[in-house]
Amino acid sequence: MARKTRDVISVEWIKLELMRAAYATRGGTFSRMDPRMVLLWYAVMAIVPWFTHNLTVLAGLFLLNAVAVILARVGPLLLFLFVFGIGMEAIYILAAAWLFGGDLGTLYALSELTLKLGAISMASMAAFVSLDPEKLSDALLALRAPALLAFAVSYGYRMLPILVEEFNTVFDNYRLRSAPPRRAGFLGVNHLYRWVRMAILSFYPIFLNTALSVRTTVEALETRGLTYATVDDRGRRIRLGYLKVRPLDILVLTVSILLVVAVFVTGQLWPIFRTDLLG
Amino acid sequence: MPASPVISLENVSFRYPGTAEDTLRNVTLQIAEGDFAAVVGGNGSAKTTLCKTFNGLVPHYWSGEFSGVAEVCGIDTYTSSVAQLSSQVGYVYQDFANQLVRPTVRDEIAFAPVNFGHVDHAERTREALEMLRITDLSERFVWQLSGGQAHLTALASVLALRPRVVVVDEPVAELDPARAQEIYQRLEVLNEQFGLTIVTIEHHAEFIARFAKSVVLMADGAPVWHLPVQDAVNRSHELAEHGIPAPQIVQAAHRLGLADAPRTVPEAARALRAHAPVAATASGTASGAVAGTRSGAGPRPSLEQFTRPAAEQASAPLPVVARATAVQHGYRTVHGRLHNVLDELDVDLRRGDRVALVGGNGSGKTTLLKLLAGILVPRSGDVEVSGTNTRKKSAGQLADHVAYLWQQPQQMFLKESIRSDIALFPRERGVPGWEAIVDDTLSQVRLDDFADRDGRSLSGGQQRRATLAIGLAMRPDVLLLDEPTASLDIASRDAVVRMLDQLSGTIACSVVATHDMTLVSEWANRVLVMEGGRVASDLSPHELFDQPDLLTRANLVPPQITQLGMSLGMTPPPLDVREFVDRFDGLKLQHADLHPASADLHPASSAEMRAYGTQDA
Repeated sequence: MARKTRDVISVEWIKLELMRAAYATRGGTFSRMDPRMVLLWYAVMAIVPWFTHNLTVLAGLFLLNAVAVILARVGPLLLFLFVFGIGMEAIYILAAAWLFGGDLGTLYALSELTLKLGAISMASMAAFVSLDPEKLSDALLALRAPALLAFAVSYGYRMLPILVEEFNTVFDNYRLRSAPPRRAGFLGVNHLYRWVRMAILSFYPIFLNTALSVRTTVEALETRGLTYATVDDRGRRIRLGYLKVRPLDILVLTVSILLVVAVFVTGQLWPIFRTDLLG
Repeated sequence: MPASPVISLENVSFRYPGTAEDTLRNVTLQIAEGDFAAVVGGNGSAKTTLCKTFNGLVPHYWSGEFSGVAEVCGIDTYTSSVAQLSSQVGYVYQDFANQLVRPTVRDEIAFAPVNFGHVDHAERTREALEMLRITDLSERFVWQLSGGQAHLTALASVLALRPRVVVVDEPVAELDPARAQEIYQRLEVLNEQFGLTIVTIEHHAEFIARFAKSVVLMADGAPVWHLPVQDAVNRSHELAEHGIPAPQIVQAAHRLGLADAPRTVPEAARALRAHAPVAATASGTASGAVAGTRSGAGPRPSLEQFTRPAAEQASAPLPVVARATAVQHGYRTVHGRLHNVLDELDVDLRRGDRVALVGGNGSGKTTLLKLLAGILVPRSGDVEVSGTNTRKKSAGQLADHVAYLWQQPQQMFLKESIRSDIALFPRERGVPGWEAIVDDTLSQVRLDDFADRDGRSLSGGQQRRATLAIGLAMRPDVLLLDEPTASLDIASRDAVVRMLDQLSGTIACSVVATHDMTLVSEWANRVLVMEGGRVASDLSPHELFDQPDLLTRANLVPPQITQLGMSLGMTPPPLDVREFVDRFDGLKLQHADLHPASADLHPASSAEMRAYGTQDA
């Protein structure tokens, strides 16, 4: 097969997708909100599904969060991973139920869990795609999370593109310098084995390189007052000065809560439980 | 020079925890307010440790045994803290990219003022951006910045604390010469217009001579001397002993018998013009050729004489080893746009070519190398290496013919020792006698003694040689190197150039992407200038330096000696000191000393020089 440059399904594409997700470059409703309110919204959406076994309610929440995903403009990579994850789980449930002699009951029980996890995953995607690391870090700081945790979030994101880039380089090095398999094997299994092996081996140099470069970072942080800021509160107040709850925040939260309530009411009126399905 | 010292050390000694010897020994040193001091010295002379005492990292962050008194801006560093001293002393690291911790430039610069609770942080950020004239970068993500921009950002982020002293650790190390010069020019502005005291750690005598006001020579943990820059430059032999070779113009001036070492190219040109009559008559009688040119038509060696060696020109063109045809390539930006880098590029690389690929940042040098190596395949067009289209084979298979060496050596160290790194390719591919190949390559790059060390623990020059060995052990037809001399001190740099020189026997064709014009002039026999996604010019080094407008367009800074030759009207300009000295005696400069105005950086063509001659006659 002739090689060509691809814009999707390549390492380069994954890197760009990660950046797009991290820095909310696609915009979306939640990205215009106060980050603390986004976290609050997320807390509501992520906790609520655990309080019920009512399938009607769960389906409603699932739909609500699907709408949130659309509003947040989640990118194709995350969506794919999500759908892939759900799909694989469905297959796994079927296989597990069949293998272990389960009946429809087990199947329903497991799909209830899938519905719950799906709803929560979508809420997470919608919230975190919309929060760039700075906002997330500031929101954590505002909610009195430890200053170092808040810093780590933003620093971790800043390192992300660099680490992916470095991974790409080290991986390319392995690609060029290790030997390609002589025979492809069944379904190219030898190639697959080589690629997985290279991907794992690539972490070793990256760890060492990062460990070396971080020495400067830690020293520089000291000179630039990171530890000073954990003692002195003025920096924190300045940093968080811009956070402000606006009408949009109130609107989104109110509408979301009302919809959740509506979903629960609907669930009360037309409840479906897995025992019902077994009838 | 203002009298009050801003930094004053008295009998300062420091020992890192767990070491047997003092790193700093009884240092007594004063740096005056408003000084531009260069700290120089060989590896292990404690330059960096010295500078870290200025902002209290020694002894507060690096807690070891500290004795003596260090006062910075009147503050005793021992009883102070890093936080307090940071507002007085800014520190820019050698690996400055690791000092950037925030996503955007503006955030990065505001980071320290916000941490220290300065209410006027926005004002300080704006001020720092303007001082370095990088306001237009403020919304960029730090990972999008070029090396030079990242350095300026790191500098701005320490300026935002409004320090009185700025320490810059080896700015030249990780930047190309043009960029480094820019950084120095900004530092000069900070020093002269804003009155900041600047301390740089520097290996490159060229920059020291041109920008510093005073020089501190360090050896074995203590200053040998601290002298005004002219006195320091005059002691070029002493500097050379401590691993700082004299700049090319100083070498030339010495060989031509000038008393005072020139510090800049215009200064050298002026001095040599004044000096010329003596030199010309002294040797003019010896070489009869000069007498014949006294009539007013200056000596003009033909350009052809300096292009390809005659033997190469005479024979038929040598076989092509790599070829790119109508190559178009680009990458997607984070916003989804396609950014074109190469556009309908055609190039043939032949056996025996030592190609220097030059051009500004983003001109597509690295992309072209990666296409030649088969790491990338073009969006359209074709690349052939050793007769194979890169689309037809995987990058791993192409590696049998072509080797690509990355710019950052540590990214090429995959194994626990450089021996295994070098062995990786021949061993995995079952090359017969691979053990012997590894041993030979190790001794070829003179790393036998370090064979079992992890590449990361080696010095910069050794790392570069190790990557070179990795490439050599692949036994490629085509060797591609990305900036092989970047971030090396001059001695290591020369070693790498010598090694490249010796490769011609084993490798059919080498291509080097570089900003290092000294490498171009000393090593290459063919220069490809990249511009607008194509090869804009394909010429010899002599021809390149004979075209000042091309140099400016491609953002290239010729080596000092070439600049000097240009400003003295040598065409084509000389490529190294020896050539300059040889040809200088033949130059007709007697009249030029009456026209000091012509001694500037703009290369006066030989025609102009002749015109001066006739006027005076």
